[in-house]
Amino acid sequence: MKRAVYLVCILLTVSLVAAMVGWAIAAGALLVPVIAIPLAVVVILACRQQVKGVMSDERAMRIKSKASLRTIEVLLVLGVIGVVVFSSYAFSTPLAPTISGKVTVNDDGTRSLSMAISRGGNTGMPGEVISSITIRNIDAMNETEAAAYAAFWQEGLRQYNESAIVARTILYCLITLIATFGAFYLYYARKY
Amino acid sequence: MKNRIRVLRAEREMTQEKLAELIGVTRNTIISLEKGKYYPSLKLAYRIVDVFGVGIDDVFTYEREIDGPEAGDDL
Repeated sequence: MKRAVYLVCILLTVSLVAAMVGWAIAAGALLVPVIAIPLAVVVILACRQQVKGVMSDERAMRIKSKASLRTIEVLLVLGVIGVVVFSSYAFSTPLAPTISGKVTVNDDGTRSLSMAISRGGNTGMPGEVISSITIRNIDAMNETEAAAYAAFWQEGLRQYNESAIVARTILYCLITLIATFGAFYLYYARKY
Repeated sequence: MKNRIRVLRAEREMTQEKLAELIGVTRNTIISLEKGKYYPSLKLAYRIVDVFGVGIDDVFTYEREIDGPEAGDDL
C-alpha cells in the first residue's frame, strides 16, 4: 500500500467513525462509540502495517518538533492577548453596559416600570440602547410581560456575558495547553 | 556543513530512492541532505558513510562560521 492510499484510508475511517459517533450520541446509542472507536484504531494500525517504505524519519520528527514548539509559542501569545481583551470587555466597569430604569406611579394608582440597557463606553455620552422594556403594572405582571422581562435581561447582557465566556474558554484552553506541555516537558527532561 | 552525498551517490549510480531505502529515511530527507538544507544526526551520518563505505570526513565537511554556529539554528 502506498502512503497516499494509507492517508485516504485514515480519512475515510475517521469520517465514518465521526459520523457514527455523532449519530450515536444524537440517538442515545452510547455503545456505538465504545465499539466504533477501538475498531477504527485497529483498522488504522492494520493499514499502517501494509504501507511499504519509511513512514517517518528523523527529519520529519525534527520538523514536527519545531512546528509544535512554534505553534505553542504563537498560541500562547495570541491566547494571552485574547484573554486580556475579552476580560477587559467582560469585567471593566467603563465598558460594561449601563442599566437605567425608573418606576412611575400611573393615574390609576398602579406602578409602571421602564428599563433600558445601553452599550458601555468611555465617551461620557449616553450609549446606544441595546434593549428596553416597559411593564405597565409591575404589581400584576402577566406571563407575556414576564417572558419579555427575562428576554430583556438576556438580550441586553448577551454581548457582555459572551465576552466573559470567550475569555474564560481561552483561559482554560491556555491552562490545558501549558499543563500538557509542562507534563511532556518534565517527562522528556527526565528521559533524556 | 557541506556534504558529498550527491557525488558519492552518482559515482555508485544509486538513485535517491535506493539510498533512502538503504539508510531508512524518506526520499525527501535525501533531497534535503543533498541540497544542504538539513544536517543529519550523528547516527544518520554514520549510516550514510556505512552505505558508501567511506570515512565520515569523505562525506561531511564542517565549515567554521564567522559568528559561530548556534545550536538548533538549522534543521
